[in-house]
Amino acid sequence: MKGFVDKYKIFTQQCPRIRDWCTTILVQAAAIFLSSVLFYFVPENSANTALIQILALIIIARNTDGYFYGIFSAAVGVICINYLFTYPYFALNFSLTGYQITFLCMLTISLMTSTMTTHLKIQATLLAERDKLLMEAEKEKMRANLLRAVSHDLRTPLTGIIGNSTAYIDNNTILSDDEKLNLVNRINDDSKWLLNMVENLLSVTRIRTGTMKVTTSLEAVEEVIGEAMSRFKKRLPDTAVQVTIPEEYVFLPMDAMLIEQVIINLLENAAVHSNSNSPIIFTVTDLPDSVQFSIRDFGVGISEDKIDTIFDGSDYEESKTSDAYKGMGIGLSICKTIITAHRGDITARNHGDGAEFLFTLPKEEKYDAS
Amino acid sequence: MHPKISIILIEDEMNICNFIATALKTSDYKLTIAHNGNDGLSLITSQCPNIILLDLGLPDIDGMEVIKSIRTWSSIPIIVISARTQEHEKVLALDAGADDYITKPFGTSELLARIRTSIRHSNRMTIGNPLNTRPYHSHGLVLDFEKRIVSLNGTEIHLTQIEYKLLSLLAKNSGRVLTYSYIIGEIWGPYADDSNNQILRVNMANIRRKIEENPAEPKYVFTEIGIGYRMLEDEM
Repeated sequence: MKGFVDKYKIFTQQCPRIRDWCTTILVQAAAIFLSSVLFYFVPENSANTALIQILALIIIARNTDGYFYGIFSAAVGVICINYLFTYPYFALNFSLTGYQITFLCMLTISLMTSTMTTHLKIQATLLAERDKLLMEAEKEKMRANLLRAVSHDLRTPLTGIIGNSTAYIDNNTILSDDEKLNLVNRINDDSKWLLNMVENLLSVTRIRTGTMKVTTSLEAVEEVIGEAMSRFKKRLPDTAVQVTIPEEYVFLPMDAMLIEQVIINLLENAAVHSNSNSPIIFTVTDLPDSVQFSIRDFGVGISEDKIDTIFDGSDYEESKTSDAYKGMGIGLSICKTIITAHRGDITARNHGDGAEFLFTLPKEEKYDAS
Repeated sequence: MHPKISIILIEDEMNICNFIATALKTSDYKLTIAHNGNDGLSLITSQCPNIILLDLGLPDIDGMEVIKSIRTWSSIPIIVISARTQEHEKVLALDAGADDYITKPFGTSELLARIRTSIRHSNRMTIGNPLNTRPYHSHGLVLDFEKRIVSLNGTEIHLTQIEYKLLSLLAKNSGRVLTYSYIIGEIWGPYADDSNNQILRVNMANIRRKIEENPAEPKYVFTEIGIGYRMLEDEM
């Protein structure tokens, strides 16, 4: 029986016209049957017959496409009432008083319901389309911001490298050893900065384009943090970080390399932008459905007008000030991209004594099927 | 004077060759460079070097083939040079018989440390048991393989059977990375399901809670995500 129902469903999905006909005939037949039963047992209350016909009419108009089936059912209903339930029985007599009004009423109800249904369906499709367009636009915006941030962030260290090395080559004979060492050190700094950038960009390629999802596997949170910390210490050995993790070990579904990148970016952001030497506090909290990572610094905080757009990488155009070098535009927007791809949340706020960046990762893979 | 340690580098990028040559020259190693896999293989068979540095991306043959072909007749230590994002490639190379890997870009000190570790381990292999049973010592952590005792700053640490086996396996190979599948094979036997390394990582989490001050900033056992574990080098 169940197999038959499934087959019927598939069949009707493929042929909407046949489905509509079936609905119409079934509902109409049921209405006539019900009316007959009522008419047989309580013949004095004929109002029921009309009400049942109207109900059937509304159901048919609501569940079919277009106006035809509603009008058809109105006509059938009117004829049936005339033929079966009004005197003379089993004969058509259209000259009954007020009969035209009954027919008109039913026709109007049918037309209105059909119009409403059609309208609803059109609106639903429109809404779905608008959602799709919005998502496309969002993705497009993310890509554009990323590219803008990239070209800016790549050019800055490259300028440094080319400039310093040219200075070294051109003035080879007149520079002192100290000055030479200084130039090479600056080239070294800039290339490390460049490497960091390239790793950030590489990490984005691990996110599947189109679906914006990542391939996750269960990872021990402490191991990911351990590796991120050791890589961070290699980059900025003088920055103090206090890490606290939950007593119990936690496994989370994630792309470990990407989450490492997020942690490094946020730590680096805290180290470079806080203008403070107080240790950064990095706390991991085990929540019922997710794990929360918090990175607090005790520096100048985030200016209020930037809090909302800090992850967009969009304030690139205007902030070409002294701060623009070592700007974190690309780093933070990549963090956002990565956390979003993991179905997590990332937020920034001021905690009174500096800035705090928070992100959470869900414990269960609540990925939808789409 | 003992003969210089000889190294063969198989790498096609000139810039990287130059940099490695400079770094090794100042440390008194004898370096020979091959720019592709076939030249490298014939150099290795004729010279029998002490160590091979191998870039996986070669113009003529796959680096993996080089490893497999060397391993058919020799156990000369091979250090693979590879890019950071290719964890999968690194695991394959290690499981095919490479001894260790180094991630591009790397500094001179990192490269020299890897080479020293590999030389030490290959010496240990040839000399045999006496060095292998010598206790592991590093920053207050001691593993006595004969008495099966682990202590941290003089206090004995109680480990379960599995935890002890795991830690001593890493300690005997200290400084080298061991892949998940290698460790699982050594500890749980050849029929263990090495696709599920959860049990290994739970044991590691427990060990870390016993020996590390802060498991999130390990001092003794480091994780190489997607690859395996590396234990802090023994202080000889």
